[in-house]
Amino acid sequence: MIDPVEFATEVVKQTLSAGATQAEAAITVGERFSVEARGQTVTKLEQSTANSLALRVFLGRRKALLHTSDFEPRSLGDSIARLLAGAAHVAPDQYAGLPEDMQAVDDLDLKLFATDVVERDAQSKIREAQDLEAAIRAWDARIDNSNGARYADAVVTSVLVNSLGFAGSYRGTRASRGVSPVASDGADKRTASYNTAGRSVRAMESVQSVAENAARRTVEMFGARKPQTMRVPVIFERDVAAAVLADIFSALSGANVAVGNSFLGDKIGDRIGSGLATIVDDGRLPGGLGTVPYDAEGVATGRTVFFERGTLRSYALDTYYGRKLSMVSTGNAQSGGIGPNNVYLEAGTSTLEELIAATSRGVLVMDTIGFATEYATGTYSRGARGFQIENGELAYPIEEFSIAGTFPAMLAGIDAVANDLRFDSTVVSPSFRVAEMTVSGN
Amino acid sequence: MSDTPGGGLGTVLDPATLRRLLGLALARGGDYADVFCERRVATSFRLQEGQIHEGGLTVTQGVGIRVIDGESAGYGFSDELTFDALERAASVASLIARSANSTTAPRLQEQSVSAPYDTHRTAPADSSVYVDLLQRADVAARAVDYRIVAVNAFITDELQDVWIANSLGKITHDHRPMVTLGVQAAAKEREVRAHGYVGDGGRTSVDFFDKRTPESIAREAANISAINLQAREAPAGEREIVVGAGGGGVLLHEAVGHGLESDFNRRGVSLYSGRVGQRVASELVTIHDDGDLPEERGSLGVDDEGNPARHKVLVGNGILCGYMQDHLNGTLMGVGSTGSGRRQSFRVMPQPRMCNTFMPDGGSTFEEIIGSVNRGIYAKSFAGGQVEISKGDFVFMIAEGYLIENGKITAPVRGATIAGNGPEAMTKVVAVGNDGRLASRHYTCGKGGQLVPVGVGMPTVKISSINVGGSNFD
Repeated sequence: MIDPVEFATEVVKQTLSAGATQAEAAITVGERFSVEARGQTVTKLEQSTANSLALRVFLGRRKALLHTSDFEPRSLGDSIARLLAGAAHVAPDQYAGLPEDMQAVDDLDLKLFATDVVERDAQSKIREAQDLEAAIRAWDARIDNSNGARYADAVVTSVLVNSLGFAGSYRGTRASRGVSPVASDGADKRTASYNTAGRSVRAMESVQSVAENAARRTVEMFGARKPQTMRVPVIFERDVAAAVLADIFSALSGANVAVGNSFLGDKIGDRIGSGLATIVDDGRLPGGLGTVPYDAEGVATGRTVFFERGTLRSYALDTYYGRKLSMVSTGNAQSGGIGPNNVYLEAGTSTLEELIAATSRGVLVMDTIGFATEYATGTYSRGARGFQIENGELAYPIEEFSIAGTFPAMLAGIDAVANDLRFDSTVVSPSFRVAEMTVSGN
Repeated sequence: MSDTPGGGLGTVLDPATLRRLLGLALARGGDYADVFCERRVATSFRLQEGQIHEGGLTVTQGVGIRVIDGESAGYGFSDELTFDALERAASVASLIARSANSTTAPRLQEQSVSAPYDTHRTAPADSSVYVDLLQRADVAARAVDYRIVAVNAFITDELQDVWIANSLGKITHDHRPMVTLGVQAAAKEREVRAHGYVGDGGRTSVDFFDKRTPESIAREAANISAINLQAREAPAGEREIVVGAGGGGVLLHEAVGHGLESDFNRRGVSLYSGRVGQRVASELVTIHDDGDLPEERGSLGVDDEGNPARHKVLVGNGILCGYMQDHLNGTLMGVGSTGSGRRQSFRVMPQPRMCNTFMPDGGSTFEEIIGSVNRGIYAKSFAGGQVEISKGDFVFMIAEGYLIENGKITAPVRGATIAGNGPEAMTKVVAVGNDGRLASRHYTCGKGGQLVPVGVGMPTVKISSINVGGSNFD
């Protein structure tokens, strides 16, 4: 492909000549590598360069969106013509249009790019997947199988050009490693998975630590029982805590708030969470996996406090929903809607072990399954597995139970937050405890 | 080849070019190679607040090249369709094989494909037909009840062409249409808000909505949202469960289907591994998977490896009959493909997947089944589910559910997750209805980050005990 900034500029020009009033072209070029091993066999090896174009067009206040990987000039011309013909069927919307306030910042040192990712040779990546496999099997004899160990990395170039004169481009790296052991004690099979990711190879949790976490999580569930149905304190271990936070982020999204599909609608300024609930999005966290200089519309990213010691301060907004809610964009526009940059719950000072020790009877949740969430009512219900806590200790593993409550009650119920926050995803959380929830078992 | 597009993809589809690419892919040896060429064009519109909110067009085009050597697979793809770029993809894929000798690619022979849908369908010339359908849905949903406060609706119309050439000497082409119209209605009364969602469509054209009108879809969604307004918190704990006909088929998909996909079984990580011929469910349980049902979402002329997507009996009267196989796993297990190799796009390798999974009729009537329940839940439809493969633990989120008290359906319940263990639940199937049907067509299945459309179906089924994860203590 020719220079992507030049190409995007050309596409914007072409779209305007085809009749659009405004246009915005985003080009992504991703060079990806991934390897999977099982035992010492390399089971998958994938490498590719993917190009894609996302083109937003406005016909007055009508909008339409093209995603394509077909850049052949005649074909692209046809797609643009079809898109504009489609846009003519869209109703005019007073809030639709490009942002007024954009900023192509390129002198920030956001640590998006790491040379240790691009300089790494394929052999060492393959070796790493094999090392992960060897390490889980060495950790416990019951680990005699696996769903594979993986290493993957990517170099992604992102270009954004719009018809109001914005032109920006940045390049970022990303690497990840993970392993999914399978353990068997004759009667029972157990699986778990543990992954880590970072902008650089150096920033990731070590191979040994990933393997140990994965292995421990697999074998510690042997002998799990079904708990009694009860109302008790529930501790969400950091990965599960992050999943809860991701649901809360969806309720914070202007797209849900504006259509009444959020329990947080009309609640700005209200005290909803406990004093420990401070939830922030930091779009410019150096080296963060969601760090970007500007969002998908070219709006500068920054630090947004959603909850300040329990009080709702802001929603997550792009330009459209900002206008619609008479607020301003928080720099959370992402291809396909509103998304998190680096969203996290502020960490506490005690360790997870101290949280457990301070819980006389309760449940530590290590894993949940299920995903449907009613954002309007804030109802939360998940299948779960983890540990029964008795007298401040992990008494035995438990499974086949569900936990249920509502997000407002959970936010209000946060009575302890651990210090184990780590930025290895775009929504992260330290482990936290909710004072009381319903656990359904026997 | 028929329906060959112009431009770059047209050049790639020349049998001589495909054969050259297969040859390059097998330059370091390997058991098998395939070239997957795809062009997919999808038009979509979304309605929000009574207005057409957004139009969309998605064009997915590219070529993926794979080499299999034993249980190892190498993969490269390119959206740039120059021979140089494809040669690079072939060379990347070839790295997985480590034999000294290259394997030769045979001359390619085009195979005819018979699909249970119209393989000549074209896209409507004018988008006003989509806009019309959405507006009719909006009006109908709002007319159901004064408490309907919001209606979101979308329509997607897609044509996917795939051409698959492999080192066994076959080229196949499938032309797969798909339309989907979905309506989400929100009802509100005082501070209570509730939702209902219904979607339908299939591998057909917008003419489908002449019979299955947008009004009927919208009314169903609106009715569910109005019912859910009255819903109370679900009880917590063990209950008898009656799973509804049609959409209840999600239960089979999650609780059993995934566990019978051959990648898990070949690796020995599924709880169903090595259990063909054994009893895995109550003798009332029979489960089929079929890619050959007329216009169903999960139907295929050929799967994404070029094999016919056959009808398969997975479980017959409680006995495990076989797994769903793709080429790699089917070859390693010595049974061959069952036409279950599917992928989301040319950017990823295929996996063994379900097509349309369903349970044939049993002997009980709906009334008998409900009448036999003392204290339980009628889960009429699910909002989705998930399963853990090695142990079979699953959850489902109930979209529309009711309490059953003393043999009668009473109050609606909401916010409930039912959690259980697949194999255990299947041994607890104590009644199967005579009212089997396929669910309305809107299900999409995710596995390993890949989404594919599927169909599900089932008669009304009673399970003697399952965990309900509500928040209501009693």
